Amino acid sequence: MTIVRKLVPYLIAIIASFAAAGIFIALTGANVFQAYETILFTSFRTPNGFVQTLLKFIPLTLQALAFTIPLTAGKFNMGGEGQMIVGAIAASVVGILGADLPAVILLPLVVLAGVAAGAIWGFIPAWLLYKFNINEILTSMLLNFVSFQIIDLVATGSLRDPVAGHPTTVQIGQGGFLPMLINNPPLNTGLILALLVAAGVYLYTTRTTGGYELVATGANPRAASVFGINVKRMFVFSIVLAGAIAGLSGVIEVAGVQHRLIVGLQHNFLVLGVIIALISRGNNLAVPFVAFFIAILEIGASAMQRTMNVPIEMVFIVEALVLLFVLLSDVVRRR
Amino acid sequence: MDSLVTFLRLTLLSMVPFVLAAQGTMLGGRTGVFNVAQEGIMLVGASLGFIGSYLAGGSTLVGIAAAVLVGGIFGLALAYFTTTLKMNQFVIGLSLLFIGTGLSTLIPKLVIGVTLSQPLIPTLQDLPIPLLSQIPFLGTVLFSHNILVYFAIVLSIGLWYFLFRTQLGLELRSVGENPNAADSLGINTSKHRYVTAILGGMLIGLAGAYLPMVYTGTFTEGMVKGRGWLTIALTFFAGWSPLPVLYGSLFFAGIEVASYRFQAGGIAIPYQYLLMVPYLATILVMMFTFRKTRVPGFLGNNYDREKRSL
Repeated sequence: MTIVRKLVPYLIAIIASFAAAGIFIALTGANVFQAYETILFTSFRTPNGFVQTLLKFIPLTLQALAFTIPLTAGKFNMGGEGQMIVGAIAASVVGILGADLPAVILLPLVVLAGVAAGAIWGFIPAWLLYKFNINEILTSMLLNFVSFQIIDLVATGSLRDPVAGHPTTVQIGQGGFLPMLINNPPLNTGLILALLVAAGVYLYTTRTTGGYELVATGANPRAASVFGINVKRMFVFSIVLAGAIAGLSGVIEVAGVQHRLIVGLQHNFLVLGVIIALISRGNNLAVPFVAFFIAILEIGASAMQRTMNVPIEMVFIVEALVLLFVLLSDVVRRR
Repeated sequence: MDSLVTFLRLTLLSMVPFVLAAQGTMLGGRTGVFNVAQEGIMLVGASLGFIGSYLAGGSTLVGIAAAVLVGGIFGLALAYFTTTLKMNQFVIGLSLLFIGTGLSTLIPKLVIGVTLSQPLIPTLQDLPIPLLSQIPFLGTVLFSHNILVYFAIVLSIGLWYFLFRTQLGLELRSVGENPNAADSLGINTSKHRYVTAILGGMLIGLAGAYLPMVYTGTFTEGMVKGRGWLTIALTFFAGWSPLPVLYGSLFFAGIEVASYRFQAGGIAIPYQYLLMVPYLATILVMMFTFRKTRVPGFLGNNYDREKRSL
């Protein structure tokens, strides 16, 4: 019964935001119900649609976790996008330079390089917060813009694929590819990695001492520090861990999906990750489920844009409205 | 000498979005409303400024009105959710940021449709001030700009006078420092927060509209390019005061102009390095100034008179 009661505000939020988006869709002159149908069911009509949804689900889950972990400690990591990009850069540079290495060596190197790069990119705002007390929201966000230039630099530099029109590097070595779960339609083992990370984060925050310290820090930093938790170190740790996870999402994009570095691979992942994290109210257990729902919407929206000419941004508004309505339901409950 | 004149002139020209958005942020912050949706509000301001002007057959005034209006609506939403519903300011700010970003690309697609090349709107005319613009050097640098440059300067001075030299300004600042004390003196804290958040949103929307109206003549996706986030940093290290915001904007604009001019100058550094400079410089400046700056005491918090004081 309680789970049903918990889901009610979500259902109301979804219905309300779909209704609001329906008005916009009607304005474009498209058939509203056909649009809804496309958004909600494209993922389940074909095997390809379902695999596409899973491929979206992987980075979305990881990006959302990269936001919820620092949020547990009361900090906001807005740098998931940049951490993903540097992770992808490191993975592809290692994958290209070590192209001749056998998979046993190259694949772990590719993954480690990406994860480490993401962690380092997360460490910068964490260190600035620790040392200079600079607001981490700002620094992590500003570093995203720096990473946009770095990826451009790498993809147009000496590793560039001269045949590709869009800035893209050459392919990484075969040994650096993530193994496939299914070959056609292609689904890589990044899915398992993402699920493992999600489960690990959940167990860590709910079942371990370290995770408890993280939660305590977020709940009341002053009380936590009185009880001997080094609060500032928890802040740093949480943002670095988030960076590593975001870096992993970049690795999976490169080693699992594209097999090369493509400028713009981060799409909207940061924004969607934050939306997922906030809709989940920072609950790590809820993140994968919400991420799957958002992945369905995203895949449905691109189908809607293709077949019905309704701009894809429409679904972005739906997602933001779902978030707003979910937040509003808190207010209603308080009364 | 000529290049110095051009540099200073362009710096003043590029200062405007920073000044407007930062003054808007500052104004809201002075009553405790911390807006983090600048990037989204500027985008939607840029988008609607462009669309408004386009639909009205190139009328700048209509474009500006549309941008200011939508900025005000976003400010109103921020005020309502945080002041009346007492929701977390940062989370609401992020939601508004996302909605603004989404609307900014959606609206042009709905109105104009998907075209290969966006239509252009006329950019703002320069209005040289009679006589003053004749002064050598200073005339070109200071007195022959579009009207929003003058507005940004007058606004900054006006805000300083209002906040620090009038009774109402003092009351307004007290709401951001200690709403409990302000409330006990009969100051309407909610009203102050609403008014400043709405005016702040308007200024931020106008800052967005400046981009298509002065720089490009059209709207492109993500054209604000992090200026909204830089604005927050700027407001922090300007200590939430109008005049330092003005000087700080000159610094930001100077870096922006310098990085573009180096690019155009054909210096043998890849342009990507130059485009990183504004963000890295901002982080560097924050390292040295963040600790010393003064922040309104109640910034980012919501006041609930029925709760015990903090």
